[in-house]
Amino acid sequence: MALLTNTASLSGSLGSIRESLLDQSSSNRALLLMAPLIAFELLIFVIPFFILLRISVAGSSTDHVFAEGTWSLEAYREVLTSDLLWSIIGYSFQLGAIVTVLAVVIGLFYAYAIWRSTGLLKSLLLFSVVLPLLTTLVIRTYAFDPLLVPAGLVPGTVGVVVAQLYIVLPYAVLAIYSVMATTDWDVVEAARDLGASRPRSVLEVVVPQVMPGIIVAAVVSFAWSVGAYAAPELLSNDITFAMHVEGLMLSDMRYPEAAALAVVMLGLMGVCIAGIFTVLNRFGGDFELA
Amino acid sequence: MSEITLQGLEKRYGETTAVEEVSIDIDDGELLCLLGPSGSGKSTTLRMLAGLETPTEGEIRIGNTDVTDQPAYERNTSTVFQDWALFPHKTVLENVAFGLKMRGVSTDERHERARAMLERVQMASHEEDDPTNLSGGQKQRVALARSLAVNPDVLLLDEPLSNLDKRLREDMQIELREIHEDLEETFVHVTHDQDEAFTLADRIGIMNEGELIQVGEPDEVYENPKNRFIEGFLGDTNFIDGEVARASEDAVHVETGLGSEIVLPAEREPAVTEGTELTLSLRPETLSIDGSTTSGSEHERPMMADGSAMNAVVGTVENVLYRGSTVRCSVSVGGESVFVERSAGNTETLTAGDEIRIEWNGADVLAFHADGERVTF
Repeated sequence: MALLTNTASLSGSLGSIRESLLDQSSSNRALLLMAPLIAFELLIFVIPFFILLRISVAGSSTDHVFAEGTWSLEAYREVLTSDLLWSIIGYSFQLGAIVTVLAVVIGLFYAYAIWRSTGLLKSLLLFSVVLPLLTTLVIRTYAFDPLLVPAGLVPGTVGVVVAQLYIVLPYAVLAIYSVMATTDWDVVEAARDLGASRPRSVLEVVVPQVMPGIIVAAVVSFAWSVGAYAAPELLSNDITFAMHVEGLMLSDMRYPEAAALAVVMLGLMGVCIAGIFTVLNRFGGDFELA
Repeated sequence: MSEITLQGLEKRYGETTAVEEVSIDIDDGELLCLLGPSGSGKSTTLRMLAGLETPTEGEIRIGNTDVTDQPAYERNTSTVFQDWALFPHKTVLENVAFGLKMRGVSTDERHERARAMLERVQMASHEEDDPTNLSGGQKQRVALARSLAVNPDVLLLDEPLSNLDKRLREDMQIELREIHEDLEETFVHVTHDQDEAFTLADRIGIMNEGELIQVGEPDEVYENPKNRFIEGFLGDTNFIDGEVARASEDAVHVETGLGSEIVLPAEREPAVTEGTELTLSLRPETLSIDGSTTSGSEHERPMMADGSAMNAVVGTVENVLYRGSTVRCSVSVGGESVFVERSAGNTETLTAGDEIRIEWNGADVLAFHADGERVTF
């Protein structure tokens, strides 16, 4: 009898050991699966970023792009005190904000249209989202020139917004639609049944459910539009920070300043994206309309 | 005032007709069950009542208002859905308060009323929970509270109990019945489960293939089914095909595969003649069985005092199925297979191969024409 209990407890403890081993091996396996991605990120993002960071705190040089081995905060002082740079940064963020709001709103409507349509119409709507991605970005953006010049929109901010919106919209639509496709229509019916009008039912139950998709759409649109290069370069006389960084590096050969501007922008972007997350997440549950 | 009138209601999707000419008057405060197999149009009818589906033809009146073209959000009906459709990103309390929020009730007041409603369905301790973490029975209660919180004229229930296990379902049926008695509101409950319909309903409306076939009180539809479909749907029965051998003013004799004629008492000149094909329904609860067969008795057919005839046949038990409280035996009689039931408490055990005698009163047998219509004698 005692032997039996012993065996039972032994097999029990063995079971728990085995379980913890399994747990560990499954987390190890996950890590293993992520290894290529981690290596890729290290190689493509983290290491170059540290190089960038290092250049940004190097002194400038008259015969080289930067003075190797020196330390200086001169580049940051230059960036943070220049009115021109602040106006460029301001313009970049302004462009980013306008395009993001438009992309998310239009993307939400478009995703809803795909979600609610059936058969051929659904395929057609989905196909037209993907279609623009099949043409190269530069050609697509150039094509706006003959289209918008007669309307007097090029050169100008409106033209840039339209072109940049056209670049990010497919990603916004797909990000929102991918989440919306998994939600049940039932809850919308339940909301209407309880007295919510059509727009109200979408706002109350669809929007909170697709919030993860909206956040992804907003972050992608914002990051891409703040760093916009092709659209403002081709369609306006205004300068965004990406264009200015290019100018600093390739024309002026002032690497530390270019790197410092990039680091400042990265920091500001980080703050903005954290802000987007916080604000949008608040609308994930029940919320009051003003 | 919330009596409901459906007049010639129809719903067609292209070529297919989901609901065909449904007309019914539902009384104020009544609990009507729409009963039917899946695809019978009962849920579509309910959805038209809710305003979630627009009728192709016909009219819906609630109280004295024609609501046929009114959208769901303008009707004071409230639906409990089959999968409950709780809002996943709102707490239980916010779910229940939702309808009041849409009616512009202030936060404090609607939360207070929602709490009272949660109390009513014994879910008060879950008000801060995420509905996705609740069990089926709890979700069902929350969905019910959410629908009742808006104080609807009509509560529509679209098979809300079908996803629950048997025990919980039976408890909820009783609870629903109690809530209905308390509120005195009109309830329309859709179900495919005849036991549920019998438990809940003041009246049952039976649907098949888009048509409303019969409406009546539970015992009325059970005892007086309009056609063969209803007889088969409302419970297990033996359908025996036969042909009229003789028909007189006081009895109809039907030749069947059971090996002997079945006698059905008649009250008037029967509407059948010799050779008419009939299907007879012998419900197991009307069949009494006797394990000790006495030879010779099978040809005796004593007429009872009230004019009804006792019928009896002898058969061989083919197999015995234990179904918990009852034992179901499949018995081979002549060329037909008939099943009979007896209470499991019966000490006399039956085994395959036993000869048994089955008796019934001819007055308990229902007869149907070949097209399914009921024949009365």
